[in-house]
Amino acid sequence: MQKFISQQNLNTLLDKLIAEGKRVVAPRMNAGTVLYEPLTAAAELVTDQLPRRSGKEAFFPLCEDIMSYRKEGQQVTLTDIDPARFPETVLVGVRPCDAAAIPVLDAVFSWDYKDEFFLERRRKTTIVGLACTQADDACFCSAVGLSPGEPKGADLFLTPVEGGGYSCETHSDKGEALINNHKDLFAETNGEKALPLAQPQTEAFDLQKVKAWLDEHFENPAWDSIATRCVGCGACAFVCPACHCFDIVDEGTEKSGKRRKNWDACGFWKFTHHASGHNPRDQQPKRYRNRIMHKFKYYDDKFGQTLCTGCGRCIRLCPVGIDIAGIIQEIEKQVKVKVE
Amino acid sequence: MHPEKQKHAFEPKIIAFVCTWCTYAGADLAGTSRMQYPSNVRVLKFPCTGRIDPVFILKAFQQGADGVLVSGCHPGDCHYIAGNFHARRRFAAFRKLLEFVGVDLNRLQFSWVSAAEGGKWVEVVTDLTEKVRAMGLMTEFKELALEEQWSGTIDTPELKEAYDQI
Amino acid sequence: MTQPIDTSIYAAVTEAIRSEAKRILSEGQVSAIVGYAVARRKGSAQPIVISDAADVSKLIFTPACVNNLSVYLTKAKKEIPKNGKIGIVVKGCDLKALVGLMGESQLKREDLFLIGVPCAGVLGSVLQPDTELTSDTIASKCRECGERLPQGCDFVPSVTLPATPEQEQIYAAEIARLEALTPAERWAYWKEQFSKCIKCYACRQVCPFCFCEQCLCDRNKPQMVETTPRPAGNFAWHVIRAMHLAGRCAGCAECERVCPMDIPLNLLNRKMAKELKELYDYEAGFEVNDKGPLASYDDKDDQSFIK
Repeated sequence: MQKFISQQNLNTLLDKLIAEGKRVVAPRMNAGTVLYEPLTAAAELVTDQLPRRSGKEAFFPLCEDIMSYRKEGQQVTLTDIDPARFPETVLVGVRPCDAAAIPVLDAVFSWDYKDEFFLERRRKTTIVGLACTQADDACFCSAVGLSPGEPKGADLFLTPVEGGGYSCETHSDKGEALINNHKDLFAETNGEKALPLAQPQTEAFDLQKVKAWLDEHFENPAWDSIATRCVGCGACAFVCPACHCFDIVDEGTEKSGKRRKNWDACGFWKFTHHASGHNPRDQQPKRYRNRIMHKFKYYDDKFGQTLCTGCGRCIRLCPVGIDIAGIIQEIEKQVKVKVE
Repeated sequence: MHPEKQKHAFEPKIIAFVCTWCTYAGADLAGTSRMQYPSNVRVLKFPCTGRIDPVFILKAFQQGADGVLVSGCHPGDCHYIAGNFHARRRFAAFRKLLEFVGVDLNRLQFSWVSAAEGGKWVEVVTDLTEKVRAMGLMTEFKELALEEQWSGTIDTPELKEAYDQI
Repeated sequence: MTQPIDTSIYAAVTEAIRSEAKRILSEGQVSAIVGYAVARRKGSAQPIVISDAADVSKLIFTPACVNNLSVYLTKAKKEIPKNGKIGIVVKGCDLKALVGLMGESQLKREDLFLIGVPCAGVLGSVLQPDTELTSDTIASKCRECGERLPQGCDFVPSVTLPATPEQEQIYAAEIARLEALTPAERWAYWKEQFSKCIKCYACRQVCPFCFCEQCLCDRNKPQMVETTPRPAGNFAWHVIRAMHLAGRCAGCAECERVCPMDIPLNLLNRKMAKELKELYDYEAGFEVNDKGPLASYDDKDDQSFIK
C-alpha cells in the first residue's frame, strides 16, 4: 500500500498514538544528544540527525529486569517478569541501517532458544522507517548491500518528498494496520517526487571474499596492526544496531534484589574472563578480531547474512579512530593481492 | 530511670563510620556511662578513618541512609600515626564532589571523637540526628534507585496508581 | 564570533616528527614510536605504533590528532612492547599525564623518548574529523591551555607558535554556573547527564590514570558500584571515577571527548582540580611528585568542616 502523509499529519498521528497510551519512541534531544526515546509530544521528533544509539533498544533494552527475589526468614520468593506488561510501542523515524538490523536480531533471538523478552517486545512494536537524505563519510550502508532508501525491517517506510511530507509504503500487516486505524491522516499518493536520497561514498564490499579471507586467517599478524590501538571499551558494541551480546547479573541485597540483563561487549577484557582467572582472549587484538569475525564470518556461517548494517556509528565514536569499513577494505585488498 | 522518650513522626537513619581506637571507644564510654543519645545511629567499626573509602559513604546513601557520620581520632592521635590525616584530605575533597553533584552537605558530618569523649559523641550524634530529622527523608538516592532506563520499563498501572495516591 | 585558528605550523611539525622518528629508529635509540597516522575518513587521524624506520612517513600531526597517547604506555595496555626505550609523540596536555604517571611509578623517564609537539589546539570532537579548527570547534581544554610548548622533551620541532586569540574559558564558566545553583538543581543537572550513560567505560579505557589491573567497578565481591547502566549505578560510577582521579587528572579531557553520550565528564575533573588547588595548592602534571595531594598530608590542613 502506498500513501502520502504531510509533516503536520505525521505529528498529529504521533500525538494521537501518545494519547492512546502507546509508547512512541523516536529520535529526540536528551541533554544535547539525539537518542531514540519515548516522546511526550510529536514536536520533540528530530528527523535531521542519526541518533547516537540505535533503535535496537526498543526490543533489547540497555538493561532490563528478568526476575526479582525476596527473602523473608527462610522463605524465598521469586517473581518472574510478565512479558504481558511490556508496553505497545511505535518506533518512529528509524533509519534504514537501524531498521535493517532488526531482522538480524530476530534471527538470533528466535534461533534455538526463543527469547521471550525480545520476541514479546518485538511483537508489540510497529516500526516506521525513514529514508536518509544525508550521509557522511562514515556511512557505509551501501557497502554492505543496503541503501539509504532500503525498507528492510520496517513495517511502514517513509520517504521524504519534495515540498514536504512523506510518501509511505507498507511492508507488513502492522504497517497496514497503522494506516487503516488512522485513515483520515493519510492521503492517496499524487505523483509526489521523492527527495534525492543520500549517497554514501564507500564502495560495495565483496562480502563473500571478505568472509573467505576470514575463514582462513584466524591467526594473522594483521590483527595486531588493526587492533593494537584498541583501548578495550564497549562504545562500538553499545552504539551498534546489530550487536546483541548481553550479560546477566544479580544485583541487590541478601533480602531482596533483581536479576538483570545488561548489554555486554566483546571489547571488554571481562567478556571472556573465566572464573579460574584464565582469559582465552588475553589481548586486545584477539578481542577486536572477534568483533570482525562475528560480524563478517560467524554470523554469516550461522544465518547467511552479515551482522553489520553500515550505520557508521562505531567509526564516528571509536575513541581511537578504529574504522571497520577501512578494515574490510584492507581485507579486500589482501584478498586481491592473493588472487593476483 | 530512663527519661520519657519523645515520639517523632520521622526517624532518620544515620550511618556512622567510626574508627575502632577512638570514636568506637568513645561511643562505648557513652554507653557504659549510661548517657542517652538517639538510637537512629547505626555504628560501623573500622580499623581507622583512613580505611573508610568514600565509596562507603556513597553506598550508605544509596542503601537508604538519611545522614552519614564519619568519626575518628583527633589529629595526632591516630593509632596508625597518619591515617586520620589522609582521611581528612580525602573527605575534604569528597565532600566538595558530593556538593557539586547536588548532595546536601548538611546530611554528612565529620568529627574527631576520642576514647575519652563520650559526651562529645552524644552531642555529635544528637546534633546530626536532629538536623537530618528536620531535613526529612533523603529522597534523591531512593528515587534514583527506582529509576529505570526507558527501554527496560514495563507497564505497571497499579504501581503508578499507588504512587499517585501518595 | 568564530575566529580561525592558525594551524599552518602543523605541516612543519609533521615533517620534523618524521625526520626525528627516522633518526631515533634507525639509530636504534628506541624500539617503537607511538604517534598519530592518517585514517581512512577525510581529515581523520588515529594512533599508530611503528617500529620500522620505513614507516615514519605514516606519522602526522593535524588538528584531528586528539588522542592522549600516554594511555598506551600504561600497564593497562599490554599490547605495546615495554622492552627498551619507547618514543612517544606528546602534546603539552598529554605530557602532563606522563608526568603524573612517572610520579605514580608507572613509567620511568629514562625509558621514554619524548617528541614534544608545539600545539595551537586540536578539535573538540572528531565525529566529523574534516572540520576546520576555529574558536568554535577547538577543544574546550585548548581554550585554557597554558602548555602549548611542551617542556623537558627530548625533541621539540623548532617552529614559532602563532599567537592564539583570547578565548572564553568554558570549564571555569560552567563550574561557576553550576556552583551558583541550589543542590537540588545540581542534582537534577547531573541526573539528566548521567542517565544517558551506557557504561561502555570508554571514559575509563582512554584515561591514562585508569591503569588498575581490575577496576573497583568490575569487582563483584564486594560489589561497591552497580554494574547495571541504570541511573543509580551510573551516578555512583561517575562520582567514584571523579574521586579516583582527584589530584591526579591533568586535564587531557579524553574522557569527555570519547563519551558517546556527550556527558561533560571533564567538568567533574576540573572541579576537583580547582578544589585541590584551593585546598592544598596542588596542580597535577607540572612536576614529578611521588605523592599527590590525596596521598600526602600536612598537620595544618583545613579541618573547619570537622566537628
